[in-house]
Amino acid sequence: MTRQGRPWPSGVTMVQILALCAPCAVVVAGDLVTRLPILIAAVIAALGLEALFAVLRRRDPGVDGLTTALIFATLCPAETAIWQVAVCVSLGVVLGELVFGGRGFGFLHPATVGLALLVLSFPQLGFAPPSQALALATLPGAAMLLALGLISGRVLLAAVATAAGLYALGGPVTAPLALATGLAFGLVFLIADPVAAASTTTGRWVYGALAGGLVAVFSPPGEITSQAVVFAALMAGIFAPLIDRLVVIAHVARWRRRHGD
Amino acid sequence: MGETATREDRPLQEISGPARASAAAILGTDFPGMRPRFEVAEGDRVGCGQLLFRDRKHPQIAFVAPISGRVATLQHGPRRTLSLVVIEAGDAGAGAVAPDVPDRGRVRQELLARGFWPAFRSRPFGHMPHPEARPSAIVVNAVRKTPQAPDPAGVLAAQQADFNDGLDCLTQLTDGQVFVCQSPGDPLAAVTGRITCAAFSGTRAAGFAGTQIDHLCPPTPGGEVWTIGYQDVAAIGQLFRTGIYASERVVSVSGRHVGQPRRLRAVLGLRLADVAERDAGVALSGDALTGHPAAYLSRFDDQITQVAQRRAGPGASWLRRLGGRTDALIPNRALDRALAVNIPTVPLLRALASGDAEEAARLGCLALVEEDVAALSRRCTSGADYPRLLRQVLDTLGKDAA
Repeated sequence: MTRQGRPWPSGVTMVQILALCAPCAVVVAGDLVTRLPILIAAVIAALGLEALFAVLRRRDPGVDGLTTALIFATLCPAETAIWQVAVCVSLGVVLGELVFGGRGFGFLHPATVGLALLVLSFPQLGFAPPSQALALATLPGAAMLLALGLISGRVLLAAVATAAGLYALGGPVTAPLALATGLAFGLVFLIADPVAAASTTTGRWVYGALAGGLVAVFSPPGEITSQAVVFAALMAGIFAPLIDRLVVIAHVARWRRRHGD
Repeated sequence: MGETATREDRPLQEISGPARASAAAILGTDFPGMRPRFEVAEGDRVGCGQLLFRDRKHPQIAFVAPISGRVATLQHGPRRTLSLVVIEAGDAGAGAVAPDVPDRGRVRQELLARGFWPAFRSRPFGHMPHPEARPSAIVVNAVRKTPQAPDPAGVLAAQQADFNDGLDCLTQLTDGQVFVCQSPGDPLAAVTGRITCAAFSGTRAAGFAGTQIDHLCPPTPGGEVWTIGYQDVAAIGQLFRTGIYASERVVSVSGRHVGQPRRLRAVLGLRLADVAERDAGVALSGDALTGHPAAYLSRFDDQITQVAQRRAGPGASWLRRLGGRTDALIPNRALDRALAVNIPTVPLLRALASGDAEEAARLGCLALVEEDVAALSRRCTSGADYPRLLRQVLDTLGKDAA
């Protein structure tokens, strides 16, 4: 059942890699000369650090970093230098999960951390808006993750509804398709990530609404940018444990009231 | 009766006569932490219903022999707890117990003295209740747990009067309600002001007393709820009618390689080899999913399952089988649905995994016992043994409360 000693993805990671294949392939194939080195650098940085931590901690190495590298290489701007990729992926992987003990022990997605660091440290980099091909390629993977229960439909629904509501409040939405294109990939792989998202039923609605609202607030009027999605995922992810905590407190209080304590 | 019989369980409708038992046992694993004070010695001849030992902490609680014969084994476990008592079937000799109709005015004392106290389990903690305790409710679990288990409606059809009598006795132990939980269909018991029937169906968890209690009467802080099996209630009724200690229960024997699944009457703590089919695989006490290989039937199981090859550990989640090693808990939908009671699953699992007893108690783990969380271990990506973790947390909380 376990493959001791050899790096082999866990079941969850394997499904996520499968879901990421199509969107990542679309982006990399679109500009092979600049994108392929970025992807390779991201993979080497993520897996290298995972191997290093495995050696330091005397544990079997994992390959969860692959999903981090794939997401990072899909979303980062084409003109990102290799060393910038290496630095941001490394910091994302280390600060996002390895210091906590690996995938599932932290509370943020390492790709979110890496991308947020990239945006903050190198503001001169221009993020291109996600292409329609990328959004379309995201759909099969999203459907698979949803069917297997690895992302929560509540989070997706709440995020889309809140973002749509806020945009509608700001005036007539002229290009809803462009908004959806901008949101799709980041929503599925960064915001709805099972580790980053809230883990209680009510908490998932609140978390999704918060993330969708932040995307709308961080974006310039009339469009959704990748930076906005990354920062919305970061902020919502930071608040997710608090949301879960409040849901639990409310649950306990309700239970006590009902059963007369 | 209210249930459509599928092709698979039709052969189980007939109950065959008493299985010839070569030996029967009382298992320490059914009563964790209980320390016995033996009243018989190895080699003594005892009759069915005769006192074997008492609980050292509460000497009112008597454990009696399930069959007549010779005491073959009296074994202590660690820290003088009970490990195993085995009676080899045979002649009762001088130990034969004459029928003695108990006094209906002293139900509690009679149940304690006549060996029925171990049939009860109390929530929180899932142990035998204190002899003086008064539960806020008693839940009688008569839900058919799996399609292979004996059908309670069929079993009770022949014992209707005894079952109602037994329920009546239970009302004297509590100030609250006695709930009969059953599969959908005609009520199994005569409903009175103190006795209520409630139907449960759907998932496997409908058969767990924890689910039923969560819906009907969650234990309030400081209070407790008792659970008991339906066949034990009928046996209590029989005791008060005839004065005979009835140790026979209907159990089922099934399995993929068992030619004809069947139901039969067998004594408590039956030796599984006596009823298991030869060449049909390892006999488990319990069902295929949660049963464990054993030599004797557990006090609380009514099902014997034979499987070809015993899997190592409980069946793991497909997410776990698919890939390599991970120790992390990744929230997913299978996990959200695994707990039938109204408790936020992932926070509970995190509290159990980190041994945070206080937080687990706040979330409501006191209403649970091992069987309620067994499904979580099968579905969690971390593969943690949640029943064991829950028991550790419950033991911690029990020590703090004492």
